[in-house]
Amino acid sequence: MCNLVSIARRVGAPRIVPTRGIPYPTGAPELGPEAERAWRRELLERALHALSTPVTEPTVFDGDPVQ
Amino acid sequence: MSPSGDDGGLSRLVHEVRELVLGDRTLYESGRLTVSEEAARSLLRDPALAEVRLACASPGESVRIIGALDAVQPCSKGPGGGGVFPGFLGPALPPGRGETHVLRGTAVLAAGHLPRAQEAVIDMSGPAAPLSPLAATHNLVIEFERAPDAAWEEVEAALRRGLLRLAVHLAEAALEAEPDAVEVLPDPASFPDGRPRVGIVTNLQTQGKFKDVFVYGRSLSGGLPTLISPNELDDGAVVSGQYGHPALKNPTYLHQTHPVVAALRERDDLWLAALVLCPEPVDQGTKELVSAHAARLCAGLGLDAAILTKEGGGNADADVSLKMDRLEEEGIATVGIFAEMAGRDGTGPSLVVPPSLAKAMVSTGNYDERVSLPSCARALGGDRLALLDRPATDELELPAAAVYCALNPLGWGRLTCSEAA
Amino acid sequence: MRIAHYLNQFFAGVGGEDAAGAGPDLREGAVGPGKRLAALMGDEHPIVATAFCGDDHASGHPEFAAALVEEMREMGAELLIAGPAFTSGRYGLACGRIVSAAAQAGLPALAAMHPDNPGLAEAGGTPVVASGATAREMRPSLERLAAAARKLAAGEELTTEDGRIGLVPRTNRLAKRSAAQRAAALVLERLGGDREATEIPLPSFDQVTPAAPVADPADALVALLTEGGFVPAGNPDRLESARATKWVRHSLEGLDSVQAGEFESVHGGFSTQWANADPNRILPLDVARELEREGAIGGLHSEYFATTGNGTTVADARRFGVEWAAELHQAHIQAVILTAT
Repeated sequence: MCNLVSIARRVGAPRIVPTRGIPYPTGAPELGPEAERAWRRELLERALHALSTPVTEPTVFDGDPVQ
Repeated sequence: MSPSGDDGGLSRLVHEVRELVLGDRTLYESGRLTVSEEAARSLLRDPALAEVRLACASPGESVRIIGALDAVQPCSKGPGGGGVFPGFLGPALPPGRGETHVLRGTAVLAAGHLPRAQEAVIDMSGPAAPLSPLAATHNLVIEFERAPDAAWEEVEAALRRGLLRLAVHLAEAALEAEPDAVEVLPDPASFPDGRPRVGIVTNLQTQGKFKDVFVYGRSLSGGLPTLISPNELDDGAVVSGQYGHPALKNPTYLHQTHPVVAALRERDDLWLAALVLCPEPVDQGTKELVSAHAARLCAGLGLDAAILTKEGGGNADADVSLKMDRLEEEGIATVGIFAEMAGRDGTGPSLVVPPSLAKAMVSTGNYDERVSLPSCARALGGDRLALLDRPATDELELPAAAVYCALNPLGWGRLTCSEAA
Repeated sequence: MRIAHYLNQFFAGVGGEDAAGAGPDLREGAVGPGKRLAALMGDEHPIVATAFCGDDHASGHPEFAAALVEEMREMGAELLIAGPAFTSGRYGLACGRIVSAAAQAGLPALAAMHPDNPGLAEAGGTPVVASGATAREMRPSLERLAAAARKLAAGEELTTEDGRIGLVPRTNRLAKRSAAQRAAALVLERLGGDREATEIPLPSFDQVTPAAPVADPADALVALLTEGGFVPAGNPDRLESARATKWVRHSLEGLDSVQAGEFESVHGGFSTQWANADPNRILPLDVARELEREGAIGGLHSEYFATTGNGTTVADARRFGVEWAAELHQAHIQAVILTAT
């Protein structure tokens, strides 16, 4: 889970979940506490979805919100 | 083409300097250059400088110059300079034609502290001497003290003007002397035969105060690539005000004697067709614009190939790499000159931003590898090396990055880097 | 040249997995595969000492290497040979570490392992030659190792022709002609149709084979890792803020989230004000616990690992990765969420 997706791709990270800022990979301070926490939960659900998805090369999981 | 150069070419009247001394009167006589201390001081006089000191440092001497700033090769086209260093001493008009007297084997060099200047070391003898072009010249070294209320920008401008005036003053001493050699430099615009047309794309650092390079006295910052005659470089069209990256810097001296220009002039199977100067912007969008524009310019000039040079570190690599790729897309073969940053033990990735289409790269060595310098008898430019907090005359272990021009991106040096053969 | 030979506990005859925790030790003369190596090296290059260490001890205690190197020197060793380690990861790690420590101490050294051995990177720029994948290929592996060692003893540099693998250091040297003259020559080669000629081979990045997906996160043990310089308040292990040479681990047991004032980031590459105001912005423990409670995650690992990714060398980062993977395997972790700044 990181913000600098191009670097993650270049070094071959297999499953990449894009985040909002370099200093806070699982944070979004601009949202306010409640919305930020809900967003973080969504982000982790996305990560779990990535972990259970077969990939063959660096793959970015940034599509629609996970079901 | 006539040897006088009146068809657009330049004749270089070369006077070799084999000895440099301070004296009462500035005089050039059979290889011996005497510099009048009084004349030199008056040329350097400026309200921003409280004091200047003059010293000589010659090849083979046990002397270390620390805090080396800019260096200039003495040259003149006539009394008062006759148009050399346009925009500073002469009118801001293109030079590069007629005749120019050059004192070869000598340089005027400023040494001391300026903001944003990283300490640059020159050893006039010992293992580091082959790494620096200014270890092979008889140097008139200018040390200075800032006037108490002067701004550093004023100090820098005073030094730059002073070095250029002094360079002209020294060359004037040879105006009446018989030259050791006359070198005829044709106008690149004349195209004598079917040789491949090779251009040089030289990126100039444009990062503001103390990190800027001047063309006809103006920074290229914010501008687009521009075409000039390589012969204008001999007459000082490009002057450096860039003091960062000791090993990766291009002093005025090396613009005047541009190594790639010299290397192409000496070949009979390639034709030096053009020199394109480009700024090195600090943001990606402008880098892309300048690169694409430079490629169009080179295509319009009908170049078959181009050699690319830079000034500075990884940021400047991006400019070379982008241009190589854009030029290759225009069907122009490219060769880039790069320094490597492979870590102290040489196992790290060499380049941060390599080109993606082009591959031909020349290496000027690994920036991070250490060099051991023995102790020396005398130091100029300061008493202590701040980088290591040691007396300047001590035995020192430094990265190659601290040796003045050791990995010169204009391609002066023989230093390179490779795996075991 | 007097040689010291490094083996793991198995090849030194100390024992198998049961003895993997054994500490470092030395014997005089050649042991196990060292006997054949000694025969190949001949009387000119005798094996004067054999050093060995249990694989687990060597991977958990990187400092074993420097101490062993010191003892080998005291026994008069002038060249260290390590392995062959074949594809054994921990053994390869130990071989890489010991030759790297030797080189740093000025003792020439050489290791042998399979090109896929994850310990290869530990050697840094110290020479490593390829061995076979398993001990069934002991004989040809030792022959290649001995040939390379003789060349090294003669003061020559090893190349790919000697079977050299891993990082080969690029060193500065003076060419006959200037860079500008070489650039002009390269233009001619390029115009002559050679599109590959260069003095700087393009840097290559790793090809990573992605791990198979977990069947269902609801059944998986998941670990939280980060390179965000994430430490307990006060940084008790003194994790570096830049150019990290180590990583830290801390328990998450009994914690429902990571609280400001209890955890912080010491990363030197960005402003840590947001991370320190809410540490869950670097290590998302709060929602991970929530998902664990709801059954969406089978279970969270009881501790987190962290380092600082700021100017860290590729070699150190690779070592952290190898060590993390070994630790997580041992703890039967099936998936990892790693946050990167």
